[in-house]
Amino acid sequence: MGTATRQQEILEELRRQIHRMERRPARREGVLACGLPEVEARLPGGGFPRGCLSSLRGGPASGKTGVALSALRQAQAEGGLAAFVDGRGEFYPPAALSLGVDLARLLIVRPGTARGELLPGLWAAEVLLGSGAFRAVAIDVPLRGVPAARAEPILRRLRAAAEKGGAAALLLSGPGDPAIPAAVRIDLDAVRLAEIDHVA
Amino acid sequence: MSPERGPPRTLAVVLPDLPLQRVLRARPPAGALAVVAEGLVRHATAPALAVGVRPGDSLVQARAACADLEAVPLDAVADRAALRALAEALLALAPVVELAPPDAVLLDAAGACLSGSDPEEAERVLAGRVLACCVDMGFRGRLAVADGKGVALALARHAGRERTRVAPGPGEGARALAPLPLAALDLPAEMARWLSAVGVGDAGALAALPAETLAHRFGAVGAAAGRLARGSDPRPLVPFVSETFPRERWDLEGEVGLLESAEPVLFAAKRLADRVAARLVGRGLGASRLRLTLLLDPRGEERVDLPLSRPSADAAAWLGPLRERLAGLRLPAPVRALDLAVVEAAEVPAEQLAVGDRPEVARALDVALSRLAARLGERSLFAAEAADRHRPEAAYRATPFRHGGTGRAGGAGAQPQPQPAPEAQPGRPTRLFDPPRPIVALGEGGRLTSLRVEGTVRAVLALSVPERLAGEWWNEPFDRDYYRARLEGLGEAWIFRDGRDGRLWLHGLFD
Repeated sequence: MGTATRQQEILEELRRQIHRMERRPARREGVLACGLPEVEARLPGGGFPRGCLSSLRGGPASGKTGVALSALRQAQAEGGLAAFVDGRGEFYPPAALSLGVDLARLLIVRPGTARGELLPGLWAAEVLLGSGAFRAVAIDVPLRGVPAARAEPILRRLRAAAEKGGAAALLLSGPGDPAIPAAVRIDLDAVRLAEIDHVA
Repeated sequence: MSPERGPPRTLAVVLPDLPLQRVLRARPPAGALAVVAEGLVRHATAPALAVGVRPGDSLVQARAACADLEAVPLDAVADRAALRALAEALLALAPVVELAPPDAVLLDAAGACLSGSDPEEAERVLAGRVLACCVDMGFRGRLAVADGKGVALALARHAGRERTRVAPGPGEGARALAPLPLAALDLPAEMARWLSAVGVGDAGALAALPAETLAHRFGAVGAAAGRLARGSDPRPLVPFVSETFPRERWDLEGEVGLLESAEPVLFAAKRLADRVAARLVGRGLGASRLRLTLLLDPRGEERVDLPLSRPSADAAAWLGPLRERLAGLRLPAPVRALDLAVVEAAEVPAEQLAVGDRPEVARALDVALSRLAARLGERSLFAAEAADRHRPEAAYRATPFRHGGTGRAGGAGAQPQPQPAPEAQPGRPTRLFDPPRPIVALGEGGRLTSLRVEGTVRAVLALSVPERLAGEWWNEPFDRDYYRARLEGLGEAWIFRDGRDGRLWLHGLFD
């Protein structure tokens, strides 16, 4: 009788565990660390929030791409996929390899820059973020000169896609770019270059 | 001492009127239709039979009976391909499958007893699955299970209207065969004529003849015929191995093709996808690239290539990306036929999902990649791979993004060759300018103090020792001294001095 009761309890506990696992939301919560203490110290929660848009702002060689790549590496280390939307056509994969990024599990989207179009890159980012298949997506699309009225609705859609898919969206922007409606903003020019030397 | 082994349990599935079935499985339901060879009707649909068309009629006679009769020429090659398609799908149900042309496939049923305690019941379950597989592939089958392939084949071909016939064990086969005509045993013509002349009219009478009689007169062939009539056929199955990737076609003639809506085409594509997927499952393969060809009316075609992020034999997973691609198409003419082919495939090991696994993520990935490929072009999406080259702009190459497997192209025999990956080179910039941008050195007394970069003069705060990269003398030689320079107001830049003319270039930024 005692054994049967014990078995029943174990079964109940297993059922509860399965139920907990099954009702786990698709959206991942918490933050995505980037593995750089100098940057993590400046981020609330010590990382980039998942399911949100984060802005990495800085000059052309401020180290923002290196920080984004480090975050993508962390996303891969968790077993997820990562993507880099290369709207400028300048991303250099060997640097990502030297930072420990698994290139086979990094989707690079290069929508083309011939026409200087803004939309294809942001649209691609929206598709990737909304799919739920990626744990982190870095978005490097030139925004300088884009009127705020045009950029804002697009960026709002990006934010919604990140919320839907649960990925950490890392938008790289320059000093002259319009303000990003991001959950987290980090200015890489403010982080001394010497502190993040090892990124490059 | 090993137990004595009898003839192998074999399941034979026969496709009656295969030439007709082959035509009908690739098009919408037909009215009066006949398959014709050498001017004679060989097979006819029920509507044609109902108005008096008979197999053996000349085409003129048949047209006299039915003016609207559609005549389709017999195509033995296509019939054989259809049989192979079914055999591929049946590989999922049995370890060994053999083609038995012109209209049958044989399966090793010996393993069926492993799936249940009652062997007869297990064989019935297997028979049910085989018939269901036939239906999924667009065929109507009739089958029998017996000891040995000759017995099973004879029972399946001549078992009358009964769709399934299971001869339970040794001795049962002989009893089941006894009433069948000699034609059921597929005997050599000379032997059949002699037996008929001596008054042997069915398999039972043949089984009753002394074994030596046939052996004396016809040798080994005669002895084998006697054994077969007594329900024993020890010949093993000859394994069927497919050499090509699956391909299926659907003809929309008579239906409304695609002009404004992708739905009719998608509906037909789903049917093809189910059949192609069933064939891949049978071979343990997954498609990593599909090609849907839309044949337009009256001429022309549109090809839709569908790269998949990982090899898959799940037709449902293909439909999302297919829908995306079809929705983005603007066709100049209606579609009259579809052809779905596997272009690349890879072996897919059987996997069991764990609690918490989310297969829908893989599907979502395929849909996302397909949407991006449709709008931006396939070349816009890639994964990078390090290349063993010193020239920085050639130090990586783009490869298809394949998550979870390696694609295989060029047929079932092609195997990917593993290559050692080049080591990562430290000190490379995160951004590379291709082509490099010209810069001008400014200095005092032979000392570099600043650089003019895109019209702005920037002081050089630090400069690394040079790294010489040179080579490719056989093609386009290059000779460069690279420096890592920290520039005021910019950050770290990757610059090089071209050894051929001494000019300076900005090649990248350590962003």
